[in-house]
Amino acid sequence: MSVNNGEKEVLLDVQHLEVTFSNSKKHVFKAVKDANFQVYKGETFALVGESGSGKTTIARAIIRLNDTSNGEILFKGKKINGKLSKEDKKWVQRNIQMIFQDPAASLNERATIDYCISEGLYNFHLFKDEADRQRKVDEALNSVGLLPEHKSRYPHEFSGGQRQRVGIARAMIMEPEFIIADEPISALDVSIRAQVLNLMNKFKEERGLTYMFIAHDLSVVRYFADRIAVIHNGRIVEVAPSNELFHYPIHPYTRSLLQAVPMPDPEIEKAKVLKPYDQEKEDKSAETGGSLQEIKPGHFVFMAESERAEYEAIVAEMNKTAE
Amino acid sequence: MTEMNQDLFQIQIADDTESEHIAAPQYSYWRSVFRKFFSSKLAIFMMILSGTVILLSIIQPMFSGYSPNVTPNINRPEMKYIRPNATYWFGTDDVGNSLFDAVWKGTGTSLFVAFVATAITTVLGVVVGMWWGFSKRVDRIMIEVYNIVSNIPVTLIAMILAYALGSGVWQIIFALSVTSWVSTAYFIRVQVMIIRDREYNLASRCLGTPTWKVITHNILPYLISVIMTSISRDVPSFISYEVFLSFIGVGLGQQYASLGRMIQQYSPYMTSTPYLFWIPVAISAIISVSLYIVGQTLADASDPRTHMI
Repeated sequence: MSVNNGEKEVLLDVQHLEVTFSNSKKHVFKAVKDANFQVYKGETFALVGESGSGKTTIARAIIRLNDTSNGEILFKGKKINGKLSKEDKKWVQRNIQMIFQDPAASLNERATIDYCISEGLYNFHLFKDEADRQRKVDEALNSVGLLPEHKSRYPHEFSGGQRQRVGIARAMIMEPEFIIADEPISALDVSIRAQVLNLMNKFKEERGLTYMFIAHDLSVVRYFADRIAVIHNGRIVEVAPSNELFHYPIHPYTRSLLQAVPMPDPEIEKAKVLKPYDQEKEDKSAETGGSLQEIKPGHFVFMAESERAEYEAIVAEMNKTAE
Repeated sequence: MTEMNQDLFQIQIADDTESEHIAAPQYSYWRSVFRKFFSSKLAIFMMILSGTVILLSIIQPMFSGYSPNVTPNINRPEMKYIRPNATYWFGTDDVGNSLFDAVWKGTGTSLFVAFVATAITTVLGVVVGMWWGFSKRVDRIMIEVYNIVSNIPVTLIAMILAYALGSGVWQIIFALSVTSWVSTAYFIRVQVMIIRDREYNLASRCLGTPTWKVITHNILPYLISVIMTSISRDVPSFISYEVFLSFIGVGLGQQYASLGRMIQQYSPYMTSTPYLFWIPVAISAIISVSLYIVGQTLADASDPRTHMI
């Protein structure tokens, strides 16, 4: 993968990232294997995959909650994984923020909303005086559609959607450049999801934010993301722009994943024959090793050398039908 | 059917902020704790009872000036073993002193020992427990300390220390609290480990909150009810421990009045002058039970899950 893709500026560059968990020297589990991807400034990059595939682990490695065992994470060209100086850590915390999955668990139940939102302000002394802090908190609440009177309330008094908006306000008040949203709508009621997504889009337009959006709901990703990376068993198998990925999936896992999305027509849905992905049979990289290769401009697929011809045939086939 | 008239209708503009209002009254943690606590009649009764006992044990000795070493009536047999009556409410003891004076002085000593030992145990236990739960290095050392300490009977340690250090109020406080804080710390460590990696603490770390602030703002408030439970368990157990140590003869010396010493001293009189034995036992039981119930109710009330009614 090239570092500079034309005129687009790379904000986050993940190279050969590996995250392992172990309870002793013998039992080592690789949660993320050789992950390579780039996030361009101003885009929404989605990471999709089934439960346990390593999506959240990648996110937490970027924001330094998980230690990495190999590889590099570069933010604006600066290494942000491994040992860092205090200033660099603060720089990462200022510039990368996270929106958490479960709004019920991600707020301190024993603190007022005022404290929850201004926690980051206190840590970095981002206010001149008390009045300035109050003004910033009011502004943040306002921007997510909550009221200044909520400041003295406790999280348990809010609905799920309101809490998630408090979580967004808490991240936004730090004025970060890059936001990792770890399944921000999975725990929400369907009627509230659009509200939260629209709010995130609003912030993106207003502040030129870059998102990394983690999800397993493909229909949401299709609407929300510019580019999508598909991850399976800790390995990124395909990276492509949203439309491209939905129209021309190449990797067999991506194809199975997209096929699993239910069709709104019962006739088609009934007739559909699901083709589950069988890693043992279809993944030939186990013996020879594989890598993420660009098969079409901007479209990367993980493959072993022996699979290249097969995938190129699929691309040729697709191009033919497109014509 | 009447015709629909446009004038009957009015355009209403939906106000999004209207739906954001919270109708419930302002929530205050401590106010809810007290409301919940005072909703229990038994707890109020027990609090009045233990409050009376504590006040009596502080104030009464100031007026009586009782000391076990001052025995003006020791040579007046008619003053000894007087049954409880209007003048001597609890009767008189084997040296002719009023048992009422002796009991409150003794209660004061026992309560002092129990409260100080609980304070040391709780403060040390919570501080070390927090550190223990957060630091892997501390965990490696402390878990060994805990394994060793928890395998030696507390009674044995207290007895040996009481023998070695001599008998005195501070010596017995030391003997009681020297190892008991380890189990409190272990208890806190487990609680810290349970909530340490919850999402809201990860969020605090992402926001750059230093660990000590995570402890004071995110962890400690969650542990108030747990710490309350531990205090309400410790105070009565230290009172009974002091009684027990004095009873087996390794507690406080002759020059101190304490409930335990009185129970030990008067146990041979159980059949001849039973009030000498049973009154200190009853006071000891009243303190233990009332403080335990007050503490448990307070512990329950300090858990916000009980506030949502």
